[in-house]
Amino acid sequence: MRVTGRATARRGVARTGLWAALAAPGTLWLLALFAVPFYAVAAVAFGYTDPLFNAPIPEWDPRYWDVTTFGEVVQRSLTGDLRPVFLRTLLYVGVALTVCVLIGYPVAYYLARHAGRRKGLLLALVLAPWWINYITRMLAWLNLLQDDGYVNDLLMAGHLISEPVRWLSGNPYTVILALVYGYIPFFIVPLFSTLDRVDERLLEAARDLGCTGARAFWHVTLPLSRHGLMTAAAITALPMFGDYYTTTLVSGSPTTTMVGNQIEFYLLGGSRKELGASLVLILSALLMALMAYYLIATRRAERDLT
Amino acid sequence: MPPHPRDPLNRRLFLQVAGLTTLTGLAAACGGERPGRRAAAASAVPLSRPTSPATLPLHADVPAVASGLEPEKGGTLKLLNYAEYISPDVCKAFGKEHGVEVEVTVFTTMDEMIAKLRTAGEGFDVCFPTPDVIAKAAVGKLLQPLNASYLPHLAGVWPQLRDPFYDKGSRYTVPYNAYTSGIGYRADRVKSLPSNGYDLLWDAAYKGKSYVIDDAREGLALAMLRNGVTDINTEDPAKIKQAGAWLAELIPRTGVKVGISAYQLVAEGQATVHHCWSGDMINAQAYLPKGVDAEVLGYWYPDASLGVVGTDTMAVPRNATKPVLAHMFIDHLLDPKVAEQNFSYTGYQPALTAITPEKMVTDGFVTEQLKSTIVTPDVYARSLQILQISPPAEALWNDAWAAFKAGR
Amino acid sequence: MTTHDVRRHEHPPRGPRPRVREERSRRRAVRRGPVVLATLTWLYVAWSLLPVLVAVQFSFNAGRSRSTWQGFSLRWYAGDPASVAADPGLHTALVNSLVLAALTTLVATPLGVALAIGLARWRGRTGRAAGGLMLLPLATPEIVMGSALYLVFTNLYLFVPLGRPAMVLGHVTFSVSYVVIIVRSRLASIGDEYETAARDLGASRLQALRLVVLPLLTPAVFASAMIVFASSMDDFVISAFLSPDASSVTVPIKLYSAVRTAPTPALNALATLLLAASALALVLAWLVLRRRGSTAALRDMASM
Repeated sequence: MRVTGRATARRGVARTGLWAALAAPGTLWLLALFAVPFYAVAAVAFGYTDPLFNAPIPEWDPRYWDVTTFGEVVQRSLTGDLRPVFLRTLLYVGVALTVCVLIGYPVAYYLARHAGRRKGLLLALVLAPWWINYITRMLAWLNLLQDDGYVNDLLMAGHLISEPVRWLSGNPYTVILALVYGYIPFFIVPLFSTLDRVDERLLEAARDLGCTGARAFWHVTLPLSRHGLMTAAAITALPMFGDYYTTTLVSGSPTTTMVGNQIEFYLLGGSRKELGASLVLILSALLMALMAYYLIATRRAERDLT
Repeated sequence: MPPHPRDPLNRRLFLQVAGLTTLTGLAAACGGERPGRRAAAASAVPLSRPTSPATLPLHADVPAVASGLEPEKGGTLKLLNYAEYISPDVCKAFGKEHGVEVEVTVFTTMDEMIAKLRTAGEGFDVCFPTPDVIAKAAVGKLLQPLNASYLPHLAGVWPQLRDPFYDKGSRYTVPYNAYTSGIGYRADRVKSLPSNGYDLLWDAAYKGKSYVIDDAREGLALAMLRNGVTDINTEDPAKIKQAGAWLAELIPRTGVKVGISAYQLVAEGQATVHHCWSGDMINAQAYLPKGVDAEVLGYWYPDASLGVVGTDTMAVPRNATKPVLAHMFIDHLLDPKVAEQNFSYTGYQPALTAITPEKMVTDGFVTEQLKSTIVTPDVYARSLQILQISPPAEALWNDAWAAFKAGR
Repeated sequence: MTTHDVRRHEHPPRGPRPRVREERSRRRAVRRGPVVLATLTWLYVAWSLLPVLVAVQFSFNAGRSRSTWQGFSLRWYAGDPASVAADPGLHTALVNSLVLAALTTLVATPLGVALAIGLARWRGRTGRAAGGLMLLPLATPEIVMGSALYLVFTNLYLFVPLGRPAMVLGHVTFSVSYVVIIVRSRLASIGDEYETAARDLGASRLQALRLVVLPLLTPAVFASAMIVFASSMDDFVISAFLSPDASSVTVPIKLYSAVRTAPTPALNALATLLLAASALALVLAWLVLRRRGSTAALRDMASM
């Protein structure tokens, strides 16, 4: 018995060795180029600036970390000029996500359950934007939303408006719609995969038990797709929080500045990189809190189902 | 290795800065401990003013290139410039003549340019700084001294810029263009021009159609000048903050946008009012859609001393890989014939005596309506300039601008 | 255990389902739903694709405008001094994008496949930690990763110059996780029976991996390579942070900066060319995956 046991144990170690060896290069890569860079952000945020260019001197030793700038950024985020930026970002992402759910859920649902013979074609069409460059798709809207673009032409021809709407002049609706347009493919596709996997027999059973279609949807499909819905929401919302190019392209006005814009301003345009790094840390903390909530909520959703 | 605030490398920088302080004869208030953020060296950079010109320091380890060398051959001559600020044809012709590719990397703000120059390993050959950053770029060893023997055409630049106050003896820079900062507008859509043209930007009638130059110093100076404050190089936090508050009025009133492409936006009508540089309106003539008359372009610049005049310069970064060719390129741009060709593309007036205002009008470079875009020696003499300020003050300007950009 | 897991054992993972019978038995009240849903879905498709078609249309505009049609012309492709053919900046961008995406795919795919196989079997705390680390990049907004990489390359890894080297490293970092996710889900659906059988027949673990598991993984490996290529071509933020000069500019960066300074229909032309390239790649992928039935292939691509 003991001999066998030891042999098993040895085999276990050897096996782990091979798998660990396979996983090692990727893991080391991520450590060096994902974990360490995060530490670099902290080192810059808590570091010093050279007196000539206001350029950051990172402080790698946590014992010497200086939290003055970080405190300043936190304070400005809570009460100062960054507060409206954070609130605006939350609002835009929240509204855009809601619109994504309102459009995306029915589309994914239809695609998964009712598309029939057209499923292949529709799926290909829904996936198409996924393969088209994001900036290209924004460029497409920039063409359409010019003062003399097709959208205004159409609205004028339908006598819905009497003079061109200035879509591209700091219009928050344009920014939100652009965000929806940009990210909704990333919402529909994972939701579709979940809905596609919902077992038909469960719905049949529900109907056999006298459920109407609507009730079957409410009591079977929706709970079963909750996990997919939350994943889709997370996949869509996280990049939206860091977006800065969408609002720059379709608005460019301070009235629609998002957190990403200020990070870009401080890190690439301006000269206070330590401030930009602090903002990155705060944004990451915010998103980590949201992720934690997501993980807890999905775990609860899974527990409810089993 | 990354410099540690306590390691010798950093101390050396610190000592250098302190040394420079005494060199420039200005007092430094640094303590003995770890150089904290924004400590001390505020005054290490000479703050040149027209009334107190500065001679920029030379460094033993940053020599000028030797005279009489052959230009480097092959490869890429790398320029660092604003977008649409040099004629591609001029670049192409020069590249052909010398067997190199001429490549332009663009930036939108001076801070971005400095950041790019500071990026290790990047060998840009020619950059185009404004006078307010030249001193710190020279002190920080980002530029190399010029060798005038490669620049025979230097003799043709405006007399007042041949030995300019911001760089006595033209040690690091030669002038490129001169321009003013004013208000470009579509004359066919602006009902009446107010006596204070800056008010155009504060006019709610142009909501969604007005723009401010995307630059901290220019934008905040605009707000100061509109309100009659001429102290556009102030280091006073209250004044800077006040300028930011004035600028922020624009957000609810006009939904103002920021940008630096007035030449296109005004021409195409996406902007009715655009805080811009004079050259942009000259350039805008080339961007007008078919069938739109050049008369629709207008440019307002104040008659009194409430305007900003600026000059751009050309310099050779310290880690240029083709310094000799870079000098030749700069001299090429100073050649009146080439400068005129370049001017016809960029719309920015070269600071050369050969290109007179009269010539600009008779040669048809500008319409009657755009005469105000011309920078005359008189305009240059009476106008204000955006000048170098200390790094802590720079951070204040930057923060005020960021607060404006954050919106409300 | 989740419901999907239960199903996976009872059903072939991507087999056909008894949909026809179901569909027929549906009542009229339920019917109304699909009509509304179908309309919404087709409207969505139109909304998502028409703007792109308009962008393609304006790449053939005879005038400079990107909003008023002034007749058909190829001037923005070739002929005009600002055309794709004449503007060296535009080719450089196109070449840079393609080279960067190819290099990223070459590095990220093997790295990710090895990591996926390793993580799928590597038990224990370290293995779980590595698995968690792998998931983090997926949940990190690009601007966070871009600025982190920018700061590390300009402050710590000074031996990696900004430009193509830094960009490849950055792109691989955000791509590896995609590969791992796709390959791991395929591994899970294959199960370990084949491998056990191979081992019973005397193959070593490495042989079993090479001769049995890898061939079974081919479609997933191919699919993930496609995804990596496409997402590298698509990336704007990380490239923008890591590109120091004009020689390393990619198509998205070029489009972005040109839109802000001097947009012309040449940008639409560049975008159209890129579109054609990805359409070509997609058809190629579809042809490879089709061997397993077109819908299944599409669904595979959707599940990425």
